[in-house]
Amino acid sequence: MILKWLISHQIKETMRSSFWQKQIALNIIMGLFLLIMLAYLVMLGMFIDVILAEGFPDKDPIALINGIILYYLGIEFITRFFMQSLPVLNLETYLTLPAKKSSIVHYVASKSVISVGNYLSWLVFIPFALKVIAPAYSTGMAIVWILAMIMLVFTNNFLATYVKRQLAHKPWVVGIFALFMVALFALDHFDIFSLSKVSGALMGGILAKPYLIIIPLASVIAAYLTNYYFLRGRLYPDEINLKKKEKTDRLGEIKYLKSIGLTGQLIMLDLRLLWRHKRTKALFYMSPVFLLYGLIFYTEPNFKMNGGFPVFIGIFMTGGMMISYLNYCFSYESNHFDTILANYTDFRQYIRAKYLLAVAVCSICFFLTIPYGLMGKEILLINLATFLYNIGFLSFTMLYISTYSTKRIDMNRSASFNYQGMGVSNWLSMLPGFLLPVLIVWPFNHFKLPIVGYTLIAVIGLTGLVLNKPLLGIVTRQFMSRRYIMAKGFRE
Amino acid sequence: MITVNNLSKIYGDTTVLSIPELKINANESFGLVGNNGAGKTTFFRLILDLIRANSGSIKSKGMDVKGSTDWKFYTGSYLDARFLIDFLTPEEYFEFISQVHRMSKGDLDLFYQEFDDFFAGEILGKKKYIRDFSHGNKQKIGVAAALMAKPEIVILDEPFNGLDPSTQLRLIRMLNELKTQKGITLLISSHDLNHVNEVCDRIVILEHGEIKFDMQKNESTLKEMESYFAR
Repeated sequence: MILKWLISHQIKETMRSSFWQKQIALNIIMGLFLLIMLAYLVMLGMFIDVILAEGFPDKDPIALINGIILYYLGIEFITRFFMQSLPVLNLETYLTLPAKKSSIVHYVASKSVISVGNYLSWLVFIPFALKVIAPAYSTGMAIVWILAMIMLVFTNNFLATYVKRQLAHKPWVVGIFALFMVALFALDHFDIFSLSKVSGALMGGILAKPYLIIIPLASVIAAYLTNYYFLRGRLYPDEINLKKKEKTDRLGEIKYLKSIGLTGQLIMLDLRLLWRHKRTKALFYMSPVFLLYGLIFYTEPNFKMNGGFPVFIGIFMTGGMMISYLNYCFSYESNHFDTILANYTDFRQYIRAKYLLAVAVCSICFFLTIPYGLMGKEILLINLATFLYNIGFLSFTMLYISTYSTKRIDMNRSASFNYQGMGVSNWLSMLPGFLLPVLIVWPFNHFKLPIVGYTLIAVIGLTGLVLNKPLLGIVTRQFMSRRYIMAKGFRE
Repeated sequence: MITVNNLSKIYGDTTVLSIPELKINANESFGLVGNNGAGKTTFFRLILDLIRANSGSIKSKGMDVKGSTDWKFYTGSYLDARFLIDFLTPEEYFEFISQVHRMSKGDLDLFYQEFDDFFAGEILGKKKYIRDFSHGNKQKIGVAAALMAKPEIVILDEPFNGLDPSTQLRLIRMLNELKTQKGITLLISSHDLNHVNEVCDRIVILEHGEIKFDMQKNESTLKEMESYFAR
């Protein structure tokens, strides 16, 4: 009885979640992306024997696959730990209702079954079983094998949720597990201990003696019950409360920022904003990606320094961090935008603080890319030109444009897959800023005069730097005229 | 102190606020009472220039709040949690607000001294961010921040909400002191008729965006308010 309600509430929660309330365009793009990925998985399942036959022509594909299954489950376990969100039910709402506790616990314990992660691997192993195992053994055996796989995947699912419930705040434990997996692989490689033999024996054993399917069956039941009794013992909300007390950081002790008055305070506020929220903190971890862009492209032997593409890379290498900051710099402040409007008296200073932080971020990125100069003087030149363009032109443009993003971003929501406030229009509006330098350089490169192109870009940047006061004035006026609309959007 | 002229705010085709004329004098304590959706918060947001009026104007000391920022130096406000910067610790937040209002380090220390009682040892030195505080303690932080720069005008929306009984009484005492000793102009809204009655000299009832009652407080005010809302 209660189960019926729980499920119906769950469906409503999912259907009404803000996840679906994005723009249609973004939904369609993500849908397409998903379809392509799913298609890839099915293709992999269909042709995995062909792929294996090419790599290991003298080995039996079934034995090979059976051998890697425990490895696969190990990797899946680690991925699940980080990606799969813990199923939580707003227990307090239901605990006071006259319902049997055991049904509520069963519900919470089994809720993770609906997670997409449980079904992706089916797309690979079902086609494989039907195409390869069925002809070699029988259709019946293929089905037994599929059932065994399904049970193992769910065992993994319950184990991962159980471990995550206990260790959500100690992800390093899973790091150790990952190292352990690597060690196992090494042992396998040097023929000391072979996990693949264990794996092969298990799956091969099931194919030889189908009644051995009780092994995965027992494991899935055991994993489920572990979860069930764990939850059963911790039914009271304060006992499963996963929220750990957050330690405060010492960002405030940057003496220099304190010494330059309110501007310093404003910069520090933004630094704290970026550092103390998961979503923006991820930007810091992303920064190496931007910086390593060059390593990916410049080391490519077929990469040509002509065309406009190198400039594009330069902009992202020196400005990627700046762009991701400026793009949402006002939306990030959704939660306290009213206090800004009601308290700040000098909005020019407020905008200037954001500009200065952007310049600082960009400069750090530029200095970090200087070693690329070892790969050719031209790269250094490109980075210098795009750096000047970024701080002198793109920065102002982006500040101006970001006053148009009026979607609320609730920074206290979790970071992964948080697309809140992200709009296609937002990215499209940035395009001209990226394309302009490419379009400038292209013709000059074509006539073998790249230096002229780079100089032009640098000159645009320098002009912006010289005119920084009037440009900041323009942005400030724009901000002032947009402030009510922004505040309204941020409140929703 | 604050003059409202011909003010209206319209969302879609509903008029959420319409005040043809209203004057709030210096050193007046102005209490706004009304049911949900009566337009109390809208009115305060308009005074603080957080939303744009469809018509009319609000003047603070004779200057339109839309065009100038001077009023921000003598106006302290706390409407809701959006006035907090919740990823800061309370100390960081107070330091920041003090800098924005150009207070000195000494002013800040004095503030901590004066509010020691009000905080009741629950706010300072906790080494946690504002977002991890309980609702009532957040409210305390916000109200204190509104009062810290020694403003001439204080605007508080539902300041008693979520406060524990001791803090409610402390706040009432503090507001009354500020009123009599410092001569501040106070604008508060509340659902609690008793609180408004205790703090305010002038009480205005708002309903569907219109002023229905505007009276100076006397012995029978509480009864009158009760009978108004009981109908």
